[in-house]
Amino acid sequence: MTTVGTVPHRRAMIEVSGVSKWFGDVVAVSEVSFTVPSGVTALLGPNGAGKSTMLRLLCGLVAPDRGTLRVLGRDPRADIGVLRSIGLVPQQETVFDSQTAFEFVKLAGILHGIGQPDDAARDALALVEMDASDTRRLSTYSRGMRQRVKVAQAIVHEPRVIFLDEPLTGLDPRQRRHMTELFHALGDRGRCVVVSSHVLEEVERFGSNVLVIAQGRLAAEGDFRAIRDLMDDRPHKIRIRTDQPNRVAGNLLAAGTIMGIELVDADTVLVETTNVQAFRRTVTAIARDGGARLWEVVPLDDDLDSVFRYLVGR
Amino acid sequence: MTVPSAATAASDPQRADRHRSPGSFLAIYRLVLRNQVTAGRIIAVSALGGLAVLLGLGVRASDSIDIISDAATLIDQYGLQVVAPVVSLVFASSGLGDMVDDKTLVYLWLRPTPRIQVAMAAALAALTVCLPAVVVPLVLAAAITGAGPALTGGTAVAAAVGVAGYVGMFCAVGIRFRRALVWGLAYILLWEGFVANASKTAGRLSLRGYTRSVLSEYTGVGFKQASLSLPVAIVVPILVGGAMIAYAGFRLSRTDVD
Repeated sequence: MTTVGTVPHRRAMIEVSGVSKWFGDVVAVSEVSFTVPSGVTALLGPNGAGKSTMLRLLCGLVAPDRGTLRVLGRDPRADIGVLRSIGLVPQQETVFDSQTAFEFVKLAGILHGIGQPDDAARDALALVEMDASDTRRLSTYSRGMRQRVKVAQAIVHEPRVIFLDEPLTGLDPRQRRHMTELFHALGDRGRCVVVSSHVLEEVERFGSNVLVIAQGRLAAEGDFRAIRDLMDDRPHKIRIRTDQPNRVAGNLLAAGTIMGIELVDADTVLVETTNVQAFRRTVTAIARDGGARLWEVVPLDDDLDSVFRYLVGR
Repeated sequence: MTVPSAATAASDPQRADRHRSPGSFLAIYRLVLRNQVTAGRIIAVSALGGLAVLLGLGVRASDSIDIISDAATLIDQYGLQVVAPVVSLVFASSGLGDMVDDKTLVYLWLRPTPRIQVAMAAALAALTVCLPAVVVPLVLAAAITGAGPALTGGTAVAAAVGVAGYVGMFCAVGIRFRRALVWGLAYILLWEGFVANASKTAGRLSLRGYTRSVLSEYTGVGFKQASLSLPVAIVVPILVGGAMIAYAGFRLSRTDVD
């Protein structure tokens, strides 16, 4: 696991130590350890990496097969009292379809034992820009509207720890921005907000503290910018199709913008570089100067899965 | 946007430990009741009850020389073997079982509400629907046969006792198994339909043996595997129902939630 950058030291509100979870033969989470302070922390990883399982473990929805988890110093699986301080936006879309948004959020407030569930439900719905007086059932709501209602039910009891599993799914750009601001506002007010996502650009907006999970393992942890640099600095494979692959590859090598060459066929060469920016700047000029015609320049491993595989392998 | 600080937030774990709100119980009860009563289920249950009344009319119209025996057999074979367990299965297993299947259980589970309270509220919601849906048509059917007040009274008690036991049992099945309806039907058809008739011991391990004993005690009509005294036949199914609700609460605290 890679720890990069500096995250300001604050008291841990979540402590995970050597946690593993498997379902049958499938290892969903493997030997994961980390701590999370107050503020917004992003849980980044590709689909199927173990993010949702990690969040379920943190809420006590499933028990770890190995290791310990503490939220506010208590075991969320064994100690239902700590659930009073936890809010969760689960990944699944389903809600109680027969209820209105207000009823759904108020129910969460009642079950958490808050004093004024009606007022709290109205406030929570207002925070996500939903109308508490809407009499339509949740079954008629769009995906984005349901998502916002799910966020409202997670914050109606003003929890100190909030887990959000892919909370921006189905939201329009304006709502995405609003939600991101809401998460930051909650984090700034001392809450511990853990947001999962598989979208790098989304995570960039969530905040500086990032946990990268891939293949059930904690691949990297720390400041987002440092992790982003780590991702950008990894070796990239690029396929070039040209009428003179030998000459283009040779000139790129001479210019110091690539580290390796592999000739594939008469008009295709694979090159490897750790400096994609410099490669992009020079490849056209080098081809032109060499009298070669470029037909295609395609990065082969720019998807997130490749990035995460690289981080896991470090 | 204004959000309260964590320091002033209402969430205090110590306070939560002390919190046992009757409002939580009522809220869960109302939710489960609302979720489980669907048009399809009401139609199916009404059809079962309606058929009981029609069969009662059929017994009355027959030229039977032993009307009480025929009427008691109708209540036993159709009312207590089919209507009571099937209606209880449909509503009790769906109360929390539907939430397990559609993954909405997380919205109840992730609250500081004691799990036994959740199970009890779900069972009470099922009882609210099942008792009238089973007892009313069966009592009506028993009365229509003209066999007398002993059959009517016995039917009312046997049906109510049966519903109490089945609701508890199928509540637990709804939490324990996915596709609870299939498991419940397997219990009703295979265990109660065949195995429980095979021996006295198996009969004692079947709720039907108890409801049948209640009916037998009231009417004096002898049924196979119906040798229990009235107090035992009434108390045991209720205890079984209560124990199964407690088990459902226990399972709820141990179950993995999606």
